[in-house]
Amino acid sequence: MRYNEKELRALSRQPAELAAELGMRGPKKGSVAKRRLVKLVVNFLFYFRTDEAEPLGALLLERCRVAQEEPGGFSISFVEDPERKYHFECCSQEQCEQWTEALRRASYEYMRRSLIFYRNEIQKMTGKDPLEQFGISEETRFQLSSLPRDGQSARVSSRLDELD
Amino acid sequence: MTFTTSLRESQGRLAHVLRGASGMQPVRRGQRAGPRSRPEPGPFQHGLPPSLICSISLSSVSVGAMKLNKRSVAHYALSDSPADHTGFLRIWGGPGTPTTPSGTGRRCWFVLKGNLLFSFESPEGRAPLSLVVLEGCTVELAEAPIPEEFAFTIRFDAPGVRPHLLAADGQAAQEAWVKALSRASFGYMRLVVRELEGQLQEARQSLASHRCATRKAIASRCKPQAPNHLSPSPENGHFLPSNCSSMGSTEEGGSRPAGRDLAEWEWQGPASFLLSKGQSPVSPETSCFSTLHDWYGQEIVELRRGWQQRALGGQPECEP
Repeated sequence: MRYNEKELRALSRQPAELAAELGMRGPKKGSVAKRRLVKLVVNFLFYFRTDEAEPLGALLLERCRVAQEEPGGFSISFVEDPERKYHFECCSQEQCEQWTEALRRASYEYMRRSLIFYRNEIQKMTGKDPLEQFGISEETRFQLSSLPRDGQSARVSSRLDELD
Repeated sequence: MTFTTSLRESQGRLAHVLRGASGMQPVRRGQRAGPRSRPEPGPFQHGLPPSLICSISLSSVSVGAMKLNKRSVAHYALSDSPADHTGFLRIWGGPGTPTTPSGTGRRCWFVLKGNLLFSFESPEGRAPLSLVVLEGCTVELAEAPIPEEFAFTIRFDAPGVRPHLLAADGQAAQEAWVKALSRASFGYMRLVVRELEGQLQEARQSLASHRCATRKAIASRCKPQAPNHLSPSPENGHFLPSNCSSMGSTEEGGSRPAGRDLAEWEWQGPASFLLSKGQSPVSPETSCFSTLHDWYGQEIVELRRGWQQRALGGQPECEP
């Protein structure tokens, strides 16, 4: 799968929601924790060598699971393979909580759900659809019916092995 | 320049020096982007001393390819999470296509999910061909000298990035795509969410202050009286109290959505029960109904607590 790497690199230079130097360990067996500059920009988590301007890599944060890991760390895994975890080490429990909170909210899907929730609440309270003023009330992504149901993960993951 | 003895510090200073010296990027392990063949693993992996790294890096500097969790990305593309827009588009500049619009381009099935635009061979495609991350871009209808009909471009602010050229099958499709892609950014979504968050806050605050005022009004009016005659009219689902200060029922622009009427009917049960106890409801206009809803809600919570306490040791309570 090709992707627009240059544009993604440019995105990694945008103002971050959160950025910090953390210990990072990849999902492969036997991988060692290394210090990385980790930067959360929109729904991507970029990671850099601490002294470099160009990112080593990025993680798209859709359909991910963020879990606290003892002690003072957290992990990110993805719905199709929950055992495959990216581990991060924080310098304090507070930092750990800050990151897990931010990462859980950092997906387009999360925002879509929030928007639908707020829309419904406002509609219940005021009788008015708040999206009408934006002219976007008919868009599919904002309808209650568009909330995804989990379940296709297993079927889909078997197709992914010849990727790339 | 001096190098410290610690390897990590050496690497750090080395990179810093390289960057400063000639604006070159430091050597990176991993693959290089572009048509070159895969390189051997970088020097760091072999544990070479910094001095040797220095001489290697000055001659073979490049920016390695960036890693991406492609498997997860593809999974997301194929998953049942809702697509914001889909359709056939012709594309130029993809694999096996000319970069300029000669010929009809390659026809692919495109799926827009959030700020990610995926292309597939067909709607039944099992793996995405490409991904365009739609952040920091402008989407425009294509103008002359592009001869293609129903074409549009996705232009990025990033330097050295050529705009993506795409063409739809007709004018309606073209406009729909331009509209969908222009609103696809995370930033746009975040703006809308924050706006709604603010509106909900406001609605809740005005509700709370309204409820305060309403409760005071009701408290002052609460004396023993004959049970109110309730007549919720089917047309608008209002409770029509007999003796409270009439607030009137405001006509909103347009008819009430059906869903709201249903909600009001659902409240018939507990509301009637409470009303029969001599509480005088406020005639609901839009915001007043919400006040009522909240107020009764609280009463019910208290009642439920009482029932549960009495039920302890008796039959288990069924939750309504």
